[in-house]
Amino acid sequence: MATDLLNISPQLIVLSTTVIVLCLEMARLPRAALWALVVGMLTATGVAVDMLGTDTTAFSTTFRVDALSLWAVIILGPATILFALLGRSELKDSAREGTIYSLMGFSALGAMILAGSGDLMFIVLGLLISTLAGMAMAAHPRNDPSSEGAMKYFIYGSVAGAIMLFGLTFWAGLAGTTLISGINNPDLSSYAVMFGFITLVIGIGYAASLFPVHFWTPDTFEGAPVSIAAYLSVVPKIGALFALAQVVRDLPVSLVDWPLILAVLAALSMTFGNVVALWQDNVIRLLAYSTIAQSGYYLLGVIGVGQSTLAIDSMVVFGVAYLLMNAGAFAITLGEGTRLDDFKGMGKRRPWQAVGMTIFLLSLVGMPPLAGFAGKFLLFGAAIESGYSWLAVVAILNSAISLAVYMRIVVPIFFQEAEDGQIRTYAPGTSFVWISTLALTIAAGIGVQWFLG
Amino acid sequence: MDFSSLPLLSITTFLPVIGALVIMVLRPKQTKTAYGIGITFASLTLLAAIMIWIQGIGSSLSQVEELSWIPSLGIAYRLGVDGISFPLVLLTAFLFLTSLIFSAKIKDSANIFIQLVLMLETACLGVFLSLDLFLFYVFFEITLVGMYFIIAKWGHEHRKKAALTFFIYTLIGSLFLLLAFLALYLFSDTNTFDIQQLITNPTITGLAATLTFWGLFIAFAIKTPLFPFHTWLPLAHTEAPAAGSAILAGVLLKLGTYGFIRFPLQMTPDAFREFAPYVIVIAVFTALYGAFVALAQTDIKRMVAYTSVNHMGYLIFGVAIAAVTTTTSGMIALDGAVLQMISHGVVTGVLFLLVGALQDRTGTREMNEMTGLLKTYPILSGLFMLAAFASLGLPGLAHFPAEFQIFLGGFDVYPVAVGIIIIGLPITTALYLRAIQKVFLGTLPEGFTGLKDLGSRELWAIVPLILATILIGVYPDSLLSMIHATTNFFGL
Repeated sequence: MATDLLNISPQLIVLSTTVIVLCLEMARLPRAALWALVVGMLTATGVAVDMLGTDTTAFSTTFRVDALSLWAVIILGPATILFALLGRSELKDSAREGTIYSLMGFSALGAMILAGSGDLMFIVLGLLISTLAGMAMAAHPRNDPSSEGAMKYFIYGSVAGAIMLFGLTFWAGLAGTTLISGINNPDLSSYAVMFGFITLVIGIGYAASLFPVHFWTPDTFEGAPVSIAAYLSVVPKIGALFALAQVVRDLPVSLVDWPLILAVLAALSMTFGNVVALWQDNVIRLLAYSTIAQSGYYLLGVIGVGQSTLAIDSMVVFGVAYLLMNAGAFAITLGEGTRLDDFKGMGKRRPWQAVGMTIFLLSLVGMPPLAGFAGKFLLFGAAIESGYSWLAVVAILNSAISLAVYMRIVVPIFFQEAEDGQIRTYAPGTSFVWISTLALTIAAGIGVQWFLG
Repeated sequence: MDFSSLPLLSITTFLPVIGALVIMVLRPKQTKTAYGIGITFASLTLLAAIMIWIQGIGSSLSQVEELSWIPSLGIAYRLGVDGISFPLVLLTAFLFLTSLIFSAKIKDSANIFIQLVLMLETACLGVFLSLDLFLFYVFFEITLVGMYFIIAKWGHEHRKKAALTFFIYTLIGSLFLLLAFLALYLFSDTNTFDIQQLITNPTITGLAATLTFWGLFIAFAIKTPLFPFHTWLPLAHTEAPAAGSAILAGVLLKLGTYGFIRFPLQMTPDAFREFAPYVIVIAVFTALYGAFVALAQTDIKRMVAYTSVNHMGYLIFGVAIAAVTTTTSGMIALDGAVLQMISHGVVTGVLFLLVGALQDRTGTREMNEMTGLLKTYPILSGLFMLAAFASLGLPGLAHFPAEFQIFLGGFDVYPVAVGIIIIGLPITTALYLRAIQKVFLGTLPEGFTGLKDLGSRELWAIVPLILATILIGVYPDSLLSMIHATTNFFGL
């Protein structure tokens, strides 16, 4: 029991931090709540870094302490801090500002639980914690668009969650246990396992905004505060996809050809996200469709699990890269405005931010030597090594489309004159986020060795 | 002389970008100061390249510099030169210097322009010197970003469309390159990104080799470009500023042709041999197509751009011949192909600069609207004619020794193909003579008041390139001996 608790100490630290943050919010001390969140998340991240290399389980193999769950803490801890700082910049002095910090903490905890799931119940639990907290955050402004967005998120979540729960009962019934490893038995009925897997993909795909359960994403992002949209685009997604990797590790290909199912979904997500993003005039909606596409790329890593030596590395590196470039792009959008027109003339007005935004977007395309390139490089490698070269070809063609998508933001920045109007300012938190993520986007691309196991 | 204690290759590669950083820090208010800094660093780069030459270019990859980078994946920072890459390094350093001198008239955001050009130079040098697939790819992609901004910001009327087309089109190419590189890494026995190892020991075979070959082919065929992947080229070349076109044609196209030699020819030689007939058909068609379409142009810059397509057809024809045969004729053809890269870089580079000078004076690129310029601009006209003669393959000028060797080598293996491809020569002759007749001969329309003839800035940029054209034409052995030592070492 004591070792079990020690093994999940990063998650326990996040939990206690979040409770403390909630108490501080009750005392109406939002600043203190923010600082408590920062300190707690940093501590959890530090502990997780120290534990890297551990590969064990806790509580009778229901929770896995391995590269995926530890890296989830290392990625999502700092992620929560970055988005909380953005939230501070955007929502400072709004009613119940501090609830945002505690909800971010809870949602991150859910994602961390997902990433270490060794038991189906943990997947259900993690998904609920992660997305329920997200719904509350999305509704924070309490106006029509945000309520609509949060409602969509909620309804989609309930339906997807219910379907998943229904399907997973088949797995539990077949295997006689809720442990994920119970499904690793070639004698089970193939159809029932396939049914369970598809419902699982629906539940996970909802949190990760995968096609075809992505429909909530653009509306929820557009209605929510920018910082919350940024949060939702990163944290639940990484948790959910890591959970999917935990499941397919134990799922025999002989029972269900899961790499093929995921490959089709990946191709559809990438293509749909990128093509629809081409028509968006709102930067938040554009980035929302881009996260759908990026989820598709991310699946290339999941497909490699068990078949490619690069799979786990690729998921970790792309997770880091995705956090950095997405947080940076959302931060600058928070500073400049959410319409494409708001970016006009930015190159003259704010040359550094303009170059920063360009670098984030090029990193999303996958330009070397930036972090996004390192991630995609490994993802493509994982797909090819697993025998999914056709998917890698689809992915690169999508990268070319995504260049056209992201250039729609770069062109007004450098080649169009500014409209008259008041110029927004960057809050200190926003500046901190874009500058630090910019430095790390470049550093992580060059120093990718540090993230490889 | 011995400079072996210095990492000369790294110095050469990164000197330009250091120049860009100096400009970024100093932020000179005067454009003259900015160009001064830029030209100084470009000159130093050329000097460093010459020092590499003095150090001695071996027949195999030599002067290797290596630093650990991502050991888990067998990726390292590795640079090196041989007789194929070094002439290109020299060309790059030379052409960037002259292009920078030529563009000194650009006053709009000059600091950023110079920084982009210098960044682009580092990227190009890096591509030619890289001995690691990963590093190669990093430099290869950075060239796209640099060129996109140069075209989109300082180009002509349709610059944004041209820049985006260029960017997306060539990005598709380089992404295929990425897949091919990953395949080379994953399916080779050694699991390495080290170019030297992959060349000395090409272990990739069967279907994997075939797919890798076609991945490499698409990537480099878009970059070179070969028919039907050439559609981005005329637009980008025409819309880019003069110096941008010179760099694009002179250096960036060579990333593709250099790639053809370094990767498919050396790493998947068997697959290349198997599919060489297809490549030859495409190359022949490209050469003729380029020539015929050039003949149909009325925009003089577009015409020059299409002659590039024609020349690239000859070049890839030479490489494909080398892939087919291991006899001396293959080697002769390859020697010619490598020399063709340099000749084309110098000649087309200077042609684009001259067209730029012409456009500055007449305000148009339409040949129908220009006539009788010889009397007003004797120097400009004379130099243009000389460069045009070089481009159409006149003996004694740069293209002749290269194309002669390509056809000579090819004749031994595919005489019919040579017979067809050689039709390109009279066509390019015709189109250049027609252009000269239209633009320079005849009588000047009354009331034409243009600028003066070439100024000292333009002459400093153009004359060295013209001298190089003559030097290569008269004494090709200055480069050929180095090239031949390496192609000989290939053991084709």
